[in-house]
Amino acid sequence: MTVASQLKKTLASLKGNQGTLELYALQTRNEETKAVYTETIKDLGIIINDLERREQILEFEEPQYKGN
Amino acid sequence: MQAWIQVLTSSISLFVLMLVLVRLAGKRNIARTTPFKFISYIVAAIITALMSLNLLPNIYLGFIALGVWVLLPIALDYLALKSKWAHDVINGKQAVLVRRGKIMEESLFRERMTGEELLRELRSKNAFALADVEFAVMEDTGDINVFIKSDRKPLSAHDLGRKVAPLAEPQTVILDGNILYEPLSTLGFNREWLGTQLETAGVSLDNVFVGQVDSSGDLYLDLFDDSVQLPQPTVKEMLYASLQQSQADLVTYSLETQDKTAQAMYSRHAKKLAELMEMLQPYLLR
Repeated sequence: MTVASQLKKTLASLKGNQGTLELYALQTRNEETKAVYTETIKDLGIIINDLERREQILEFEEPQYKGN
Repeated sequence: MQAWIQVLTSSISLFVLMLVLVRLAGKRNIARTTPFKFISYIVAAIITALMSLNLLPNIYLGFIALGVWVLLPIALDYLALKSKWAHDVINGKQAVLVRRGKIMEESLFRERMTGEELLRELRSKNAFALADVEFAVMEDTGDINVFIKSDRKPLSAHDLGRKVAPLAEPQTVILDGNILYEPLSTLGFNREWLGTQLETAGVSLDNVFVGQVDSSGDLYLDLFDDSVQLPQPTVKEMLYASLQQSQADLVTYSLETQDKTAQAMYSRHAKKLAELMEMLQPYLLR
C-alpha cells in the first residue's frame, strides 16, 4: 500500500465516523450530549480538510498512484 | 320497597360517592399515611358499609357521620398545606432517632419504639451495622429513613471524579408486538424509522415483546423467542474503536513522513483527535 492509499483509507474511516456521529447528534435526546457530538463533528471536519489537502499534494507528487 | 332493592340502590350510590370522595382525598399511599389518616379511612369505610347494608336507623345520620369523617380530614389537609404550624400539629413532626452515629434513647421512648424495632428498621434499609449509620429519622408516617456514613456509601461516579454522560429515561416503543405511537412521536421518530431498525436487527414486529429506545436513540429489543440471539447495539463502541484506529494512523504518518510541514500537521491532528476521544469517551463507552 502506498502512502497516498493509506491516507485515503484513514480519510474514509474518519468521514464514516463523522457520519455516525452526525446520526447520533440528531437522535440523542440530551442537549449536552448533542453539543459534544456537534463539536466533535466540527473538529473532525477540520482534520479531514487538512488530510484531504495533504492527499492532493501526495497525488501531485506521485501521479502514478492516482486513484488507488 | 323491597329490602333488596333498597340495599342495591344505596350500595350503588354509595359506591359512586366513595369513588369520588377517595379521588378527592388525594393519591397518597394508604399504607404510608399518618396513623390518624389511617383511622379516618377505616371509620369512613365502616360507616359506608353500615349504610350500604341499611343497618342504620336513619340513612341521613349516616351521611352526616360520613361527611364529617371524610371532609374533615380533607379540610385538615388543606390547612396543613397552607400553614407549617398546622401541618406539625396535625401530622406530627419527624423524630431524629440516630444523630452523629448515636442512638437518641429519649426519642425512641417518645415514639414507643424498642431497640429491636429500630435495628430491624435499620436492617431493612441495608444498614446492618449501627456503626455505618450517621443519621436516622422517623418520618411522621412512621417510616424510618437512614443516612449512611459517607465512607460506607456506595461509590458514585462523582466520588471517582469521572465524567459520565447524562442519560434520559428509556422510552418503551413496542409492547407485546404492538407499536406505541405516543412515546415514539415524543422521541421524534416514526413508524418507518422503527421498521428500518427492526429490519436491521432482522426480526418481525410480532416477535418483539418489549422494545425500548435509550436516550442516544438505540433500540433494545426483547423477543418472545428467547432462543434467538440478537446483536446488541454496539455502534458507539465501534465508532470509538475506529477513531482510535485513525488516531494511531495519524501518529504513524507523522513518524513516517519526511515533509516537515506535513509532519507538524499530522502530529497536531493526532493530538487533537486524542483530545476529542477523551471528551467522547463517557458518551460512547458507558
